[in-house]
Amino acid sequence: MGHSDGEHQLEGDDLSADDASWSDGVWSEDDDEGSGSGSGSGSGSGSDADSDEAAAEESDSSEDEVAPRNTVGDVPLEWYKEEEHIGYDIDGRKIKKRDREGRIEAYLKNADDAKNWRKIYDEYNDEEVQITKEEAKIISRLLKGKTPHGNVDPYPDYVDWFEYEDKGHPLSSAPEPKRRFVPSKWEQKKVVKLVRAIRNGWIKFDKPKEENNLYLLWGDETDTAENKRHGLSYIPAPKPNLPGHEESYNPSVEFIPTQEEIDSYQLMYEEDRPKFIPKRFECLRSVPAYEKALREGFDRCLDLYLCPRTRKKRINIDPESLKPKLPSKKDLRPYPKTCYLEFKGHMGPVTSISVEITGQWLASGSCDGTIRVWEVETGRCAKVWNVGGDVRRIAWNPLPERPILAAIVGHDLLLINAEVGSEEVQMRAKELLKIDEMAPQDNTDGKKPAVRWMKHEKLDGITLIHHKAVSNVEWHFKGDYFTTVVPSGDTRAVLLHQLTKKHSHHPFRKLPGLPVAATFHPTQKMFFVATKKFVQVYDLQKAQLVKKLESGFREISSISIHPGGDNVIVGSKDGKLCWFDTDLSTRPYKALKIHSKDITNVTFHRKYPLFASSSEDCTAYVCHGMVYSDLNQNPLIVPLEILRGHSSSDGRGVLDCKFHPKQPWLFTAGADSVIRLYCD
Amino acid sequence: MDADPSRQVRVRFVTKLPPPLRAPPVAIAVPADLSRMGLSEIVNSLLAAAEPDHKAQPFDFLVDGELVRLPLQQFLLAKGISAERVLELEYVKAVAPKKQDEHCPHDDWVSAVDGSNPSFILTGCYDGLARLWKDAAECTHILEGHSDAITSTRFISKGVETDGSLHIVTGSKDRSLRLYKCDTPVSMDYPKRIGAYKILRGHTSSVQSVTVDPSRDMLCSGSWDSTIKLWAVEGSEEDGDAVSLKKRRMNSDSSGPEESQLEGSATSTLLGHTQCVTAVTWPEQQTIYSASWDHSIRQWDVQSVKETWNVFCGKALNCLDCGGEGSSLIAAGGSDPVLRVWDPRKPGTLAPVFQFSSHSSWITACKWHPSSWFHLVSSSFDGKVMLWDLRTAWPLASVDSHKDKVLCADWWKGDSVISGGADSKLCIASGIEIV
Repeated sequence: MGHSDGEHQLEGDDLSADDASWSDGVWSEDDDEGSGSGSGSGSGSGSDADSDEAAAEESDSSEDEVAPRNTVGDVPLEWYKEEEHIGYDIDGRKIKKRDREGRIEAYLKNADDAKNWRKIYDEYNDEEVQITKEEAKIISRLLKGKTPHGNVDPYPDYVDWFEYEDKGHPLSSAPEPKRRFVPSKWEQKKVVKLVRAIRNGWIKFDKPKEENNLYLLWGDETDTAENKRHGLSYIPAPKPNLPGHEESYNPSVEFIPTQEEIDSYQLMYEEDRPKFIPKRFECLRSVPAYEKALREGFDRCLDLYLCPRTRKKRINIDPESLKPKLPSKKDLRPYPKTCYLEFKGHMGPVTSISVEITGQWLASGSCDGTIRVWEVETGRCAKVWNVGGDVRRIAWNPLPERPILAAIVGHDLLLINAEVGSEEVQMRAKELLKIDEMAPQDNTDGKKPAVRWMKHEKLDGITLIHHKAVSNVEWHFKGDYFTTVVPSGDTRAVLLHQLTKKHSHHPFRKLPGLPVAATFHPTQKMFFVATKKFVQVYDLQKAQLVKKLESGFREISSISIHPGGDNVIVGSKDGKLCWFDTDLSTRPYKALKIHSKDITNVTFHRKYPLFASSSEDCTAYVCHGMVYSDLNQNPLIVPLEILRGHSSSDGRGVLDCKFHPKQPWLFTAGADSVIRLYCD
Repeated sequence: MDADPSRQVRVRFVTKLPPPLRAPPVAIAVPADLSRMGLSEIVNSLLAAAEPDHKAQPFDFLVDGELVRLPLQQFLLAKGISAERVLELEYVKAVAPKKQDEHCPHDDWVSAVDGSNPSFILTGCYDGLARLWKDAAECTHILEGHSDAITSTRFISKGVETDGSLHIVTGSKDRSLRLYKCDTPVSMDYPKRIGAYKILRGHTSSVQSVTVDPSRDMLCSGSWDSTIKLWAVEGSEEDGDAVSLKKRRMNSDSSGPEESQLEGSATSTLLGHTQCVTAVTWPEQQTIYSASWDHSIRQWDVQSVKETWNVFCGKALNCLDCGGEGSSLIAAGGSDPVLRVWDPRKPGTLAPVFQFSSHSSWITACKWHPSSWFHLVSSSFDGKVMLWDLRTAWPLASVDSHKDKVLCADWWKGDSVISGGADSKLCIASGIEIV
């Protein structure tokens, strides 16, 4: 720090201690020393004092050498005031007080003795010490504020040992400026800034990650991260194959092909021939220049240049995870899966089948012009009717006590008694099928009537002669009404018939396209008409259109209503099947593309949550279709089983499929003239 | 016995067969890879050593009540039986038909067969006729009257009754049951045609199954109208009740000059099944078992006409029989190729105790051997009749003589299996030695 300050302080100290210097303990101690040695000389001879001085001169601290006589230590001397001794010497003996001189005596002594002013009384040792002249001199010098020794020069002349005059150093001898000792304002500002930056998190003290200093010495440069980081996509050039042993100039003998082998290469195709035939040279010198070097270099460049540099982006997704979560097939049992029974007997493609409501009988119609009734449990053909025309469609009356079959034979509809059931049931059926020759219809409009009910003599049934070809027939669940579809019938395309009254009418005059199929609602007075693209839902009581379902298909082929009535499945001629939830929307809820060819029929099971579709591709498909009573829950559709077994005939496959009404079994009718029963 | 040094098992052959077929009960070491054929050879050579005129025959071997169907070593491994101890091999005569005959041509599918009478075989046919065949050779009686296929026939009496006549009941698809009485001492060149002496009407749909109670007084029938009806056999001429007499009078008008027919009606109806009752059986006086297409087997108490027990198997059932140990096991087969056996005495579980699944199509009939606890016969649409032993999961034998679906099968005389099928044949596989 500053020199000047220190000097000032020293001065100040001296000044302040001026008055008390004589009575101060420091002084007295110094005096003691002097007096100690002085007392010896005072009482003894002067040689002692001389030797003391010599000793003092020799050593730095005379104090250490001459121990005080008294050993009481640093205790107040008042304690010994009343005692006759002043303390103890080093051997433990008491040191007796000297006889105190009277004051006058002492005064006289002082007056007499010229040296008396140098005498000092040492209270501690109870001695009188005589200071030497030198000591007195030093004391007087010290009192004057001078150096103790006279030959010390406190202010010698400054000798500038450093030579800077010709050295060119920028050192200046100017005193240090004040700013060197004052905290810097700018530094403080900077610190404040840094503090703020640290507080705000602009400066972070996390150690920067250590870059990996390792690198692949022999690695491919093109593969490093540096290359990848470039904005343009960098695609490393494909590497040429590394040479093998056979490409050595002097390969082992086993690499060298024999002449036969070389000749055999000529028989190979150009592209199969080996590109390189190993040769052997004695020494490297004899290796000729590579004749194809230029060509290959060019090819390589061409490869690199023509290489399509596109980067394929691939996302790693487990394809399994994209599948919807479906319950396991095991939990959805029973459903038909194995064919155990075949119904053989038809001579032509079986076009349509229908199962009796009790599940005991199965009726089938075929292109061979017969209708057959089969016993389901054994597969025995119980009855055959030769109807003399292609049977297109067959439907069993849904009442067990009305064993009546409705079949489309040729252009018209035939109602016959199936002749199963007890006598009285058959009697009643017969009575129902009795018809008097029709009274001439009101031919006032001059048009051919839509339907004429005629007695069929041969089979003891009724024929409904339609004005044009009929394509579809479906019974109402109560077994009295049935509907037929005449696709080319214009305003009279969909007809409703009543069995008991032998009456027909055609309530639907306007249809958006050709009708394909029509069916009744299983419980309510509703009616579904499928045209080529739409499904129209009518209310029979109010005689009005309720809904129009848009399938989005080119051509609908079949329709089936869920037994609950709110769900409809529709099969199309392009192999697609769609499920409508009529409460949800008029658009399909789900569309399944399950067949490669036309769907011929779709059907729901009456009891089990199953539906099936049959197709021209010789398969039938069974799906689980659960409809929940909770309206918030959408129907659950799970494909279950592909039923195969039918063989294709004339490009046609399975022509019809029907579920057993009580068992989880499916009947399929094939163009190979076989009906198959698939059981759970 | 060439000792294979690799593995040997020490066995002792024991048997319950009579003495000429009893091998010395000493422990011998046999190669461990022997199957039952090799074991059979050993036993035969042992027997031949004891008795020179012994004729070699196949045997089956039992270890701890299970038939050996694998090589011995594998069998022991599979069953976890130690090969260190002396293994007790019980041998029984192998159960397999020695002779397979095709007898008795029919005009149509043979749908029902009953072999409970040792001298006659009763068959029902789809042409509506039931036939009696004496000693499986000649048709002695043709029972006519049904207007539709017969589905089930039964001898009411086991043997020939005291008056030399046989009582027979048939059930048909024409919804009726008919009772016939046949005189057994027949000596005619052509079969005798017999009409029913009693018609039981009441079912509204095909009768599928008919059975007789152990005391031979009652009949039970299951039908497609999903009911089971009980009928009294009594009501023959002497004690026909008023109703039947009245009906007879009414009937006589329509039936014309034919011999008079009695009519009877059901004494009680068992309601509970929801679908066609395909099989009924009446093993004890108070208990009827029934199987149905509604996937259930039900046990009925005859007195209270109540259902007492049921089991659902998940498949439509076609046949049912009671037998086995204490005649209390139920075997049933249906619309899948598995023959299942339940034990109704087993509490808490309704799972089948045995399952036999070697058939490849529906099972149409199953019958317990009348005397053995272990043996079963089953027939299937795959054209096979199979013999089963409860002690192994493999079929003992398979009879392939049918060319089409087999519709019915039964035991006959304890050593033959008779079966009828859609090829209009009655096949008899005889020479089955079940001891």
